[in-house]
Amino acid sequence: MRAAYLVVALAACNPELSQISVAPPGRAARLDEVHHSWHADTYRIEVSRGVALAIDCTAGGPCEHLHVVSDDPAIAEVRPASLGVLQSAGYTRQQPAAAVVVIGKAPGKTRLHLAAAEGHRDIDVTVVATP
Amino acid sequence: MRGLSFLALVAGCAGPGALHQATLVGQCAESDAACSKRHPLAPIAIGAHFQPEVSAEIDGTASPSLQLESVDPSVIAVDHGELVAKRAGASEILISTDDGSVVDFELAWAAPVTELTLAHRDGDRVAGTIAMTVGEDVTLVPGLWNGAQRLGGAAEVTWTQSADAPIAVLRDGSLDRRRIRARAAGKSTVTVAFGDASAAIDVEVVP
Repeated sequence: MRAAYLVVALAACNPELSQISVAPPGRAARLDEVHHSWHADTYRIEVSRGVALAIDCTAGGPCEHLHVVSDDPAIAEVRPASLGVLQSAGYTRQQPAAAVVVIGKAPGKTRLHLAAAEGHRDIDVTVVATP
Repeated sequence: MRGLSFLALVAGCAGPGALHQATLVGQCAESDAACSKRHPLAPIAIGAHFQPEVSAEIDGTASPSLQLESVDPSVIAVDHGELVAKRAGASEILISTDDGSVVDFELAWAAPVTELTLAHRDGDRVAGTIAMTVGEDVTLVPGLWNGAQRLGGAAEVTWTQSADAPIAVLRDGSLDRRRIRARAAGKSTVTVAFGDASAAIDVEVVP
């Protein structure tokens, strides 16, 4: 039981991700949360080749020291995004948004590893071929 | 809900980029209604060059130095700041600062030319014979179309005229546009072609 509480507590610390750009017509660009019973939730992304998807990272407020690495940048590349907006960090404060852009480079599957001061997340990425 | 709030925040800024922070527009003179580069939201004609002007609108800062990069250069390449359509499809154009941070991105499409038209510089489409007097000039601009959709970009179309033509087809410094000068009385046919598409107009010069 104590272990279960620990898992819940750890999961609560990990950052949350949200999609902040839309999919173009006829192309895929989607972020989904994947729930797990035994370990922290992960995310999955489906994006078309040649398409980019922006996601932001929060953990009560914008993530600090956000850094994302791709296992295979030839399939999915990640770039830091520079957003000129503030987001709520608690009830009274605002901080600069933290976001990255995921780019579908070639059809295939790979994994992104997101790390921030607030925790980490794994993101499975599928890059689909264009019609 | 959090995502919606965030989108509402960024939607306050103008710009067609996915993050609403930057824009890509064609480089056209204000008075040039027929400018073939005036259509940044249209697909770029395969084989054509689109000369964009990029600008960013970010609170608290003038526009930083921005670079363009194509995610899929086999569809749309970036060549010395121009977008060059290579084959049918779409590619995200990343608008980044010098250190690689993405300020915005916009999906650009490329499509084949299925029809070619000619228009005057005011945008009025040429549908019949052009009558000119000797010494008169008329500037014609080719329009690139995919079905009913006007394509963006300027293409180096081929201009030909019938033998012994009483007109001269002159370059005016642009890639696609030409100035027709009436030199003597007579009739001629001017043909423009790009790939498999072509269009012809009759020109009649009177004294």
